[in-house]
Amino acid sequence: MKRVLSEIILKFDGLVNYFIPETIAADRDARNRAHVFLISHILGPFIGNVVPAALFVFDPHPNFAVVVLAISITSFWVFPFALRAGAPYNPLALVSIQNLIFCILWSCYFYGGVTSPTVAWVLTIPILAFFYLGSSTKLRLIVIAMFVVNLAIFCGFYVFSYSAKTELPVAAMQGLGLVSTIAASLYVTMMAVYYAKIQASQADLESEMRKHMIVASELRSATEEAERAGAAKAEFLARMSHELRTPLNAVIGYSQILLEEAEDEGDDTSTADLTKIHNAGQHLLKLVNEVLELSKIEAGKMELDLSEVRIDRLLGDLIYSVEPQAAEGGNRVICTISPDVGSQRCDASKLRNVIGQLLDNAIKFTENGKIDVTASLEPGEDGNILVIAIADTGIGIAPDQVDRLFETFIVGDDSSTSKYGGTGLGLALSQKLCKLMNGDILVESDVGRGSRFTVRIPVAAKADATGTFAAATLVPESATSDPFVGSAPETSHA
Amino acid sequence: MHKILLVEDNELNRDMLSRRLQRHGFSVCCAVDGAEGVSMAATEMPDLILMDVALGAMDGWEATTLIKSNPATAAIPIIALTAHALASDRDKSVEVGCSDFDTKPVDLQRLLGKIRDCLDKPASVAIAV
Repeated sequence: MKRVLSEIILKFDGLVNYFIPETIAADRDARNRAHVFLISHILGPFIGNVVPAALFVFDPHPNFAVVVLAISITSFWVFPFALRAGAPYNPLALVSIQNLIFCILWSCYFYGGVTSPTVAWVLTIPILAFFYLGSSTKLRLIVIAMFVVNLAIFCGFYVFSYSAKTELPVAAMQGLGLVSTIAASLYVTMMAVYYAKIQASQADLESEMRKHMIVASELRSATEEAERAGAAKAEFLARMSHELRTPLNAVIGYSQILLEEAEDEGDDTSTADLTKIHNAGQHLLKLVNEVLELSKIEAGKMELDLSEVRIDRLLGDLIYSVEPQAAEGGNRVICTISPDVGSQRCDASKLRNVIGQLLDNAIKFTENGKIDVTASLEPGEDGNILVIAIADTGIGIAPDQVDRLFETFIVGDDSSTSKYGGTGLGLALSQKLCKLMNGDILVESDVGRGSRFTVRIPVAAKADATGTFAAATLVPESATSDPFVGSAPETSHA
Repeated sequence: MHKILLVEDNELNRDMLSRRLQRHGFSVCCAVDGAEGVSMAATEMPDLILMDVALGAMDGWEATTLIKSNPATAAIPIIALTAHALASDRDKSVEVGCSDFDTKPVDLQRLLGKIRDCLDKPASVAIAV
């Protein structure tokens, strides 16, 4: 029984919501008022029409007065459709109240005047006006004025004797009074119950909101706590990395000295071992440096250091420094710089870091192949974009690994770690550095055919032309592996 | 044989760099702080000074400024060594009168190149990017 009832209420609620236009549904107060308005208009005619029905029963000679009353009451059903069709709410509510005043005064006028059994309905006017129109004083005054004007008109008719009073027998009058009073009470009770329900649901809503706000503030403080912990961690890592670098530099430096001495003396066994110590030291130093850089970025301590940078020279230096490794793997490094690149305002050390990492990777994962480095300018939204691409003909990256490539500690698949080494920090760091420079790294890769990493960094428009160099003459289109080196390259183990 | 004055407060770095430079045929003398660097520049009259900028009480910039303000030592080329490859450090190097600038830990081949450049044409200011 209870379930059937709640289902009916649910269906009815759906019907009510059907009539509420979106503009009203968005505002909670307006929605609540429209709800009361619709419930009153949908159920009202059922209860209200009890009066004309009773009149048909009690009046020995029902006349046009009953018919007009029934039509007026039934016309309340038009209002929900008018609302849905987009009629403005407040004027619509006022028209509805006007109709209500008319129905009540009409029935009083024809059936008993001031002592009419339908007088009790007058009480519904202020109650409904309050429900429909909210707390606006202006609208309340309009309702009172409407009532006064209506009353005056009916009084006028009465005074000038256009009276069409219907005389009912006393018993019929009492029967009508009983029916009318019960209907009016039922109607007012229904509206009061519904209003109470809305108030209760609002109280629920408010307590729910308070709960949410408490949760939100707890979340905020938890987030702040986490941020503090994160900053402390980054600070610790930065300090540790710095402390680690000092002894590490000694290990690398002294192994370098011993290595140079062993080479001079032609001591091959020592040379091989010392090279291993030296390389392991370099690897560890690289790892420590990357951790330091990453933690600096995470602690928000990394800042841009902009200057005019000759891109050809920067790339030339980098390619020169990786030349020995490239030659070891049988790789050719080809660099093409478009003539308009010249020098650009950017952060030299971060750019060098990023390109160096990508070059190292390209060489590491390519054998007897080609590494193409190209630099060019593209017009961007605000100034130019420096585009540097490093394309290799190496092993490539599987599509499922491309997406995870820039995550910390990801080095292709695990099996490649053992073969190629790598810290798994390099690419993550490179991308973070690029992001810091407002740029990005794009990856395209084909397993077995090679990878292409494209770095895009926005550079501010050049202030003057003094930094422009004839880059094309320095780096001809057909430039091969070492176009930047005037003298013979010296082999360096550093 | 060219004489190089190395101003460096870290003992290990001082030892390593001086030994490596000596192996490449330079005579090396060392100062452990800025003040000693300034006085040794005048007494030793080296052909070139390698100046660590992150020294204790008197930093490398200050020491360089003092060396450059003394007419006797003003002509000695100075290469600044810093831990960070910051453009601001490089600008500061030029400002106080350094001939060149390099980062630590040193890439010996690169540093040797810069040293040779400075010794060939001591008056020039050649700051690499």
